[in-house]
Amino acid sequence: MYRIILTLTICYSSIYSQNDTSEKALNTTKTNYLEEVIISATRTKRQLSSLPLPVTLISKSQILKSGTIRLNEILNEQTGIISIADESGFEGIQMQGISSDYIMILIDGVPLIGRSSGNLDLGRITVGNIKQIEVVKGPSSSLFGSEALGGIINIITETPKTEQHKGIVSHRIGSFNTQDSNLNFSKRKKKLGYHFFINRLQSDGYDLRPDIPGQTVDPFDNYTFQGKLWYNFKDNLSLFASGRYYFQNQELNLFLDEINYNGTSDLDEWNTQIRLDHRPSSRLKFQYEFYYTNYKAGELLTNPNSNEVLSQSNFDQHLLRPEVRSTFSFSPKNDLTAGIGWNHETLNRTFFDEEVGFDSQYVFLQYDFYPLKNINIITGARFDNHSEYQSQFSPKISLKYDLTKNLSLKTSTGYGFKAPDFRQLYFDFTNSAVGYTVLGYNVATDKLQEFIDLNQIADVVVDLDELNQPLKPESSIGFNFGTTYKTRKLLIEVNFFRNEIENLIDTRVIARKTNGQNVFSYTNFNNIFTTGLELNTGYKLTENINLNLGYQLLYAKDKNVLDRLEDGDFFARDPATLETFRLSKSDYFGLLNRSRHTINFKVFYDIPSWDANINLRINYRSKYGLINNTAGGNDILDIFDPFVEGYAITNLSINKAIYKSYKLQIGANNLFDYTDVQNISNLAGRQIYGKIEVQF
Amino acid sequence: MKTIKLIIVLLISSYFISCSSDDDSETTEMPEAIVAKRIDNLHAPQTGGQGQPVGGNFTKFDFATGQITSSNTDWDIAFRGTTIAVNGGTSTGTADEPIRNADVIVAITTNTFGEVKEAPDASEFTADADGTFAIPTGSGNGWYNYNPQINVISPIAGKILVFKTRNNRYAKVEILSYYKDAPTTPDPSSDIARYYTFNYVYNPNEGNKNLE
Repeated sequence: MYRIILTLTICYSSIYSQNDTSEKALNTTKTNYLEEVIISATRTKRQLSSLPLPVTLISKSQILKSGTIRLNEILNEQTGIISIADESGFEGIQMQGISSDYIMILIDGVPLIGRSSGNLDLGRITVGNIKQIEVVKGPSSSLFGSEALGGIINIITETPKTEQHKGIVSHRIGSFNTQDSNLNFSKRKKKLGYHFFINRLQSDGYDLRPDIPGQTVDPFDNYTFQGKLWYNFKDNLSLFASGRYYFQNQELNLFLDEINYNGTSDLDEWNTQIRLDHRPSSRLKFQYEFYYTNYKAGELLTNPNSNEVLSQSNFDQHLLRPEVRSTFSFSPKNDLTAGIGWNHETLNRTFFDEEVGFDSQYVFLQYDFYPLKNINIITGARFDNHSEYQSQFSPKISLKYDLTKNLSLKTSTGYGFKAPDFRQLYFDFTNSAVGYTVLGYNVATDKLQEFIDLNQIADVVVDLDELNQPLKPESSIGFNFGTTYKTRKLLIEVNFFRNEIENLIDTRVIARKTNGQNVFSYTNFNNIFTTGLELNTGYKLTENINLNLGYQLLYAKDKNVLDRLEDGDFFARDPATLETFRLSKSDYFGLLNRSRHTINFKVFYDIPSWDANINLRINYRSKYGLINNTAGGNDILDIFDPFVEGYAITNLSINKAIYKSYKLQIGANNLFDYTDVQNISNLAGRQIYGKIEVQF
Repeated sequence: MKTIKLIIVLLISSYFISCSSDDDSETTEMPEAIVAKRIDNLHAPQTGGQGQPVGGNFTKFDFATGQITSSNTDWDIAFRGTTIAVNGGTSTGTADEPIRNADVIVAITTNTFGEVKEAPDASEFTADADGTFAIPTGSGNGWYNYNPQINVISPIAGKILVFKTRNNRYAKVEILSYYKDAPTTPDPSSDIARYYTFNYVYNPNEGNKNLE
């Protein structure tokens, strides 16, 4: 009986909320759920354990205990997720072997923009105001559209809980003069609730190579401001508004040909979200949402002696997204959700002729029901109409079957896609030092004609008519099959995954220039897959000791390469004799930057008598290839190529509460000071830190 | 036993010799031995590059002598930077290129050096032409890859160049390195580029496609 009441409470109070919003916070006094609730998987509130999808929830308490300050750090400690830098040094998240380009990052249900070569740097996001992080693995385009091909990560920020003013202020100081300060302030009263948040992070950066001039990471400081407001007009009508502003300034230093160039790199990001929640009846709910975001980045490097500009780049992206969602409950646990929306996106940047824009309209529908008491099915689809590429239809179905109280099976399959991005369509870049050119797909024909008119083209190597066919979106079919066994002391989750990605967009040569260099443009050609196994276990050793072990096995390969290997098309060079030999399929390691094995092991130890806890987390990734080692004679990663060695990073954190309002924390990230100067520039050495938090 | 084997070998060789003399009634000479050699550090300088107009003389090579040559007529292939010209076809239009005065053609095959046992069909051969080299220039197009991340030129493994020389002989070439003294892992900051090291097999018998 109690369970039913709880379910009803969840359903009727705020099941439809995009984030954990107004009504839950304002209408009910009860704020503790019996079970963890997740909203990203279905865009309705669902108990984590009831979902038929592979989802991970990272709670605030886990974030706080771990002493992490940025989103990439905490995600990197989760099974099957790693934060990596690509061969150009751009950081992003990789999930089930799918790179950052294909993973949508949302804050309170609305997407972030501003990617560098497809990577969204999660170091931009502080964890200081995060309530929980929800990760959905596998194609999620059926609800979220483009970019959600590999999954989504939704960051849910804090909501006011009590009628008293509640403030938390904290300061953390660590190695490299890294200082992280947070202020959270919230209150709710009858019809009104608000939450304000400020974060400042500064660091002197670090230098892995003191022997050469300049630092590996230059000093920076950044600020995050967020304000959120709730207002209840009536019991069934409420308003939510949120504004977020982030900016970062970084000094830049570059030593080139004995000259010390210096300059700055600036980032500015705005997010504005307004939402009206209306519940005409107890079964029906509407959400009217408006979202606007702007991401700007600028970089300038000059020679301080001559004021000559070495490089200058600008990036200014906007996204406007109105969306209306509605959920109708036929009965408890039997929901139909529908949505309609419009994306308007523009980008103006260096190497574009002019500002370019995309428009897309979309509708989605989802039905969540229990055909039998122990079987849950969620099925849905989304249709995206787009100004620049083919319309996309993204269906998905997932099913969970509870065999016993402790054992369940779940499986899901779905379609995901990623639209060609602005760079792939409009880029116009010529490397002045070497002389090659990269052209976006949509401008390639015209730009190439300009080069031909200037007599700079020796030879066009593709059929130009072919370029008039629109570039296809990258698409995938994902499959997950898993089982969960859960008792009071033990949790075992196993999930098999396979993602087949088609029409991957990459560059190819379209013409040869008279200077001997190539003109590149983008095209659809690679078909890849990522497949493997995830294992997650948790064991309560004693009342106060929790152990967690996570493992991912991953194979990520290019199918075209496998076909060509079968034909005997690839060779490698013997390093001693420099002579060549033919490669076989088993010599192929796979895609770059994918480790076969990743492991995380965590121990959490509570000491109630001291009001303290200690945790130790070890993260391991096995060897991987970072760049195409063409010196090996081919452009694939084979087992004879050099690899970045596998490594483990150990993080330790000790927390102690004093009285009711003070918390102290000391810890060390990368305790054993592992660095790889040659290959991993984003891995600083050991960082010791101490933090104090005061509640008022 | 040994003597019997030797006799068999002798019988077989004399059979082959007599065969070939039947086919080729003009001559009864033994075929000339196939030449297999490695050329180290063939220097192929160029001027310009890095966005500037490319120029400078090509370094010419003659398969018959197995030597670099300064002759304007007795050469088969010529090197300048990453560009390889053949003494056949027409001028490509690049500055300072040598005048073509023979019919050298080239076929790019994909195989290991050892497995290219015979020159391919005539249809696979091409000569230089206006605007294009028979061995295409640019990374990934012809014989090399250029990796901008490490700034290294690497010969593509399994690209074997088969030439029909100006005297209607066949030769196969595998380029091993573009750096002086053929380092295993070239370091562009210390290793000097534009020094070719290559293996070649040359069949001095006219029209004979055998390259084993």
